[in-house]
Amino acid sequence: MGLFLNHSESFTRLLDSGTKISTESATNENATSVIQLPNGLTIIHQEMPTAAVVVDVWVRAGASREPAEWSGMAHFLEHMVFKGTQRLKPGEFDWAIESQGGVTNAATSHDYAHFYITVAANVLPQTLPYLADLLLGAAIPADEFGRERQVVLEEILQAHDDPDWVGYQALCEMLYGEHSYGRAVLGTAEILAARSPEEMRQFHRAHYQPKNMTVAIAGGISQSVAVELIQQSFSDFAEPIGCPQPKPQPLNILPEQQVHQHRTLHLPNLEHSRLTMAWLGPGIDQLDIVSGLDLISVLLGGGDTSRLVRELREEKQLVQDVDASFSIQQECSLLSVSMWLEGPDLEEVEEIVCDRLHLLANQPIEESELARCKRLLLNDYAFSTETPSQIAGLYGYYATIAQPELAVAYPGHIQAHSPHSLQQLIRQYLSPERYTAVVLQPE
Amino acid sequence: MTSSPVLTQHPTTLRTTLPNGITVIAIENPVADIVSSRIFIGAGQLCETEQTAGLFDLLTAVIVKGTASRTAMDIAEAVESIGANFGADVASDYSLLSLKTVSADFETVLAIAVEVLREPSFPDHEIELERRLILQGLKSMKEQPFGMAYNYFREALYAGHPYGLSQAQTEQCVAKLTKADLQQAHRQYFRPDNIVITIVGRISPSLAVKLVDQYLGDWSVPDEPLPQVSFSPIRVAAQRIVTPQETNQAFIVLGHLADEVTGPHYAALKLMSTYLGNGLSSRLFVELREKQGLAYDVSAFYPTRRGPSQFVAYIGTAPQNLSVALAGLQAEVARLKDMPLTEEALQVSKNKILGQYALGKQTNGQIAQTYGWYEVLGLGMAFDEDFQRAIAAVTLEDVQAAAQHCFVEQTVSILGPAEAIAALTPS
Repeated sequence: MGLFLNHSESFTRLLDSGTKISTESATNENATSVIQLPNGLTIIHQEMPTAAVVVDVWVRAGASREPAEWSGMAHFLEHMVFKGTQRLKPGEFDWAIESQGGVTNAATSHDYAHFYITVAANVLPQTLPYLADLLLGAAIPADEFGRERQVVLEEILQAHDDPDWVGYQALCEMLYGEHSYGRAVLGTAEILAARSPEEMRQFHRAHYQPKNMTVAIAGGISQSVAVELIQQSFSDFAEPIGCPQPKPQPLNILPEQQVHQHRTLHLPNLEHSRLTMAWLGPGIDQLDIVSGLDLISVLLGGGDTSRLVRELREEKQLVQDVDASFSIQQECSLLSVSMWLEGPDLEEVEEIVCDRLHLLANQPIEESELARCKRLLLNDYAFSTETPSQIAGLYGYYATIAQPELAVAYPGHIQAHSPHSLQQLIRQYLSPERYTAVVLQPE
Repeated sequence: MTSSPVLTQHPTTLRTTLPNGITVIAIENPVADIVSSRIFIGAGQLCETEQTAGLFDLLTAVIVKGTASRTAMDIAEAVESIGANFGADVASDYSLLSLKTVSADFETVLAIAVEVLREPSFPDHEIELERRLILQGLKSMKEQPFGMAYNYFREALYAGHPYGLSQAQTEQCVAKLTKADLQQAHRQYFRPDNIVITIVGRISPSLAVKLVDQYLGDWSVPDEPLPQVSFSPIRVAAQRIVTPQETNQAFIVLGHLADEVTGPHYAALKLMSTYLGNGLSSRLFVELREKQGLAYDVSAFYPTRRGPSQFVAYIGTAPQNLSVALAGLQAEVARLKDMPLTEEALQVSKNKILGQYALGKQTNGQIAQTYGWYEVLGLGMAFDEDFQRAIAAVTLEDVQAAAQHCFVEQTVSILGPAEAIAALTPS
């Protein structure tokens, strides 16, 4: 739940095993600046009172840039970026950052790939040029390509052992069809086996260009020092070249385009059934609507006092858990309600959810309930801007899929909603007749 | 050459013990308009027995579901209507109430937390609801192959010790625990002389301490002594557990019993787990993933524990790689016994652990967690600095001695498709 906490599915280079900094946080009162360099690169800077600095580089080179037959390329490339350049041996960058007490990682989703480091401010002048070199000058050596493909294949195997991932992929295929949002970020073993280092170099050179890149920097560093460092490091881009593009596929996100779809998957090693019901909404360019859908997801499933948790989990005890989640991508948003439950209760629970949506469409909610939802989202927002990595992530993400200014516009959009505006949105977007459902059942 | 991101020291820290024994740590951090607080209770899974496995899971689930004057819904409404976070949890060595609010709301939520702490009502229907949810949660864990491989490892390594209580034992006990059991555990362990409270954020330390005194100063210590935990030594024979399950990936979890936090090898073991398993330049990552492409997820860990800890290495790999992965993982652990690290590897591991330690204390919540945890383990908040000093002082000889001392009898758990694990099954 929460526009700022969910970017939809993304895959990280290193699985978090407990060392990652937790994403807790606070009301942020520092000034942010956005700077455009002559070559088209965007810099976002915020100085914060800490000795650490986070540099988070966002590239519009996610899975959405892949033609179907190159599915998985963006994520695989994110792994290969760390395999060195003419100047850096494979692993040398990781060692340089980590041996100084810093951390680094990367992640890929449909709309972006991003790469980040956290280091002490005093070592940034030595480490930032390394990061820039990796991103601009990725060599993609053929032998490393073959080895790292094995790692990505392991990642795919691991994902297939996760029933929630399997269910989510099925949902995306149904919702997005032939659009790239319908394909897994990880790609498939068959497609990856057919790809070559040359193709990856082409993809890299076409997309890792300054106009596609935002460098978000936050922490104990002044604006002038930050800009100068970035300007020096991110200057040596190769001439862009062409690259196969995805076929343009319209997304059917208008309410009148929605249909009812229902699919049941039978999976091994499953202890509980799952029911996920999902509705599409507009993309990031319609923040007035998107913020309302975010509020509706809180109304339905945010906290023990939310409608569905209270009724299904606490009162009727029909489900083990309810989770309402709202995520936003560039071209659409997705509100989904997932329930963990026993097979025989599936139908009843689905009917109850539909019935409650019907009710909400016909009767505006109380002001007090709306106030709770607003407060929860606004505090979540405030609690998510405490650390440099949260700040760099927030602004970098918005700069990549829209404009960085939208990051601060969000609380205003939340505040503007009324019981009436939410009722309208429920009527328009959350049809109890036309939605997409995925059921997971034990084999 | 250490250049870890050393974060600003907190200028205003107050640590005090109230007359009834409650330890209070208050740290002012005015940067953000938020207060995080943790209330630690010095009792967790370590206090469970074969008859009470899961007791603290149930207790912490139900404790926030009603007090003498509020129902579960009253509590949830009071907290959620102001957008605060409030919850209870249990860990190996302690139980915990966590609060996070914007500064102006702190006292409101603290008052609720205090009611929950002192006067939980454990309503029958909430016990039944949470019991059912815990049992379902235990079943859900079986959906995760790594989790299952690790569980079998832990149960074998710690057989007979509370850290090793099995999932099956927990299921049996949770099904039978009664309201009286919860009330008794609450009476025994939730008492002022077993409580540490940390409050960090935009609040003056003196006000924070005053609030704790106002709400909890009149809570008296019961006459009966706090129950002490004691265990017989754990059996340590080498063992291998092999579990057939039709998964896409197979998992190996292997390791050894290792020093508790006060043990002589603690700092050296922390360094070794960092060397082997922490980050993209760690030994296991480079050798087994980067050079051989055997895994996406391969790492090592050594948790800080009040009781006997565990030093663990693990890997998830395609079933056909299982033998190679097992040999590789075992060789890397054994290598620490046979061959000293280089000076450079030692220094880099120190930089890593100290740098990440500093980064792990950035938010108010992280700071509240760190200091409170050290207090409740009986180490005192000075352990924050003792730990960093101990890491800096570790020598090559310390590392090898710790490896030779701890890495003797190995427990191995393997989970994967029957065909793939057949060759690795002990005869």
